[in-house]
Amino acid sequence: MQHLANVTELRRRVEEAAIEVDGVSHVYAGADGGVAALVDIKLAVGKGRFVVIVGPSGCGKTSLLMMLAGLRQPSQGTIVCLGRPIPKPDPQRVGVIFQEASLFPWLSTLDNIEFPLSLRGVPRQERRQRSKAMLSLVGLEGFGERYPHELSGGMKQRVAIARGLVQDPPLLLMDEPFAALDEQTRMTMGHELLRIWSTTQKTVVFITHSLTEAVYLADEVLVMSARPGRIIDHIQVTLPRPRSYEMMATEQFGQLRDRIWQQIRKAP
Amino acid sequence: MSWPAPASVRWLLLALLLVAWEVVPLTGALPELFLPALSKTLAVLYSDRQIYLAALLVTLYEVACSMLIACGLGILVGALVGGTALLRDLLLPVFSSLYAVPIVILYPIFTAWFGVGSSSKIAFAGVYGFFPVMLSTAAGIRTIDPQFLLAARSMGATLSQQITRVIIPASVPTVFAGLRLGGALTIIGVVVSEMLTASAGIGYLVTLNRTILDSPRVFAGILAILVLSIAYYMLARALETRMVVWQSAGRQQRSSAGVSTAAVPAPAAA
Repeated sequence: MQHLANVTELRRRVEEAAIEVDGVSHVYAGADGGVAALVDIKLAVGKGRFVVIVGPSGCGKTSLLMMLAGLRQPSQGTIVCLGRPIPKPDPQRVGVIFQEASLFPWLSTLDNIEFPLSLRGVPRQERRQRSKAMLSLVGLEGFGERYPHELSGGMKQRVAIARGLVQDPPLLLMDEPFAALDEQTRMTMGHELLRIWSTTQKTVVFITHSLTEAVYLADEVLVMSARPGRIIDHIQVTLPRPRSYEMMATEQFGQLRDRIWQQIRKAP
Repeated sequence: MSWPAPASVRWLLLALLLVAWEVVPLTGALPELFLPALSKTLAVLYSDRQIYLAALLVTLYEVACSMLIACGLGILVGALVGGTALLRDLLLPVFSSLYAVPIVILYPIFTAWFGVGSSSKIAFAGVYGFFPVMLSTAAGIRTIDPQFLLAARSMGATLSQQITRVIIPASVPTVFAGLRLGGALTIIGVVVSEMLTASAGIGYLVTLNRTILDSPRVFAGILAILVLSIAYYMLARALETRMVVWQSAGRQQRSSAGVSTAAVPAPAAA
């Protein structure tokens, strides 16, 4: 009986996988046969999960994210996002938020948020309506006519998140989005992101260098080894939600963070 | 004690310079051949106004035509060279080193090809102004943050959308800097070529009057060119500020942005 329940559970999880990566390897072309960036990556991300990937610099985390976004193709293996492969970027399926805000300095905040909609030729009125809704979702009402130069680092990342969410993609990929922010802003932004995530029901894949950030945000943490990157640990974070800053002082939080650190440290 | 504003100091210096221009020749410290008084220069400019106006129109016409050539060709070639890796590797080093050549040495060839009329001035000044426009356009396209293009691609931008929606607006400030410099060089090119071999234009008037030692008329010509270049510079700056709103917006409103930044954590806490 127990066995049957497990099978049903497994089937449910396979059906509800937002991302399935199977046997993905990636080699960068080079003179001496190339450099292996990723080796035999296999992972499944369930719908609505918040998955954080950590690993040493240059381990291919970003390459993996690029592939999930359809910005790069793997040398080997298959990637399925929401039931279909992703041979090129598909912003209505997958939204990407980058390390630096990468907002266009010549566009106002609202125009930046609307940019992906205008590429698809969404009528102006609808665009404005949706970008304004996103602006208030990220808590920046009243800043719509400002230019990126006039915003602080944290505000720029809020705008970038709004831009990533404006097409309402079920899947959100974030490549160290808060890396350039100071510690305090970073904590606030992480908390903000969890609030937005809980209201929008997105599946999130989030890359970071910060172990504290990883444990604080994640349902699951994937630990990658140094180049060539492979997944060496898969940690379930069972801390209750909603998360609070006080949890960081708990023993459970410390143990989880320690386990990740041990894995990264012993990684070859 | 507070210092006066830099702008008022600048105007004061200009006024002092003009007063000195009037007073120093009156004292007899300098012969008129070296420096005719301002009033005398202006008087000559007024009495010969038809001659100077006609010459100015010729110069203006040549400047306008050569700017059109320099800016049009400069942007076109610059975009091609900056945008295609093959042309960039092939041509950019050549163009960059040509920039250092004193192109005025080619002017005799231009007169041989195009005659002593306006065409040779337009051709010469056009070439003279072409280089900065072309080089800065190429640089503007080459130095676009690759993150912008990556972000645009992730949002589903096609190649033509990447060009029109990202590459062109991103390179506008650099291109404009080149246009400002290139435009100034075409003015220099036109005046220099008029002074060398010509039959009309302000530069021609200056050379002509210098050979007959008519100092007030030489200075009248210099004054006309000074006014022309300053007018051009102010026009170019005004145009640039209007076109590149997002850059000036960032610079001018920094103080107000600082205030609003402080107000942000409130929604975050909510």
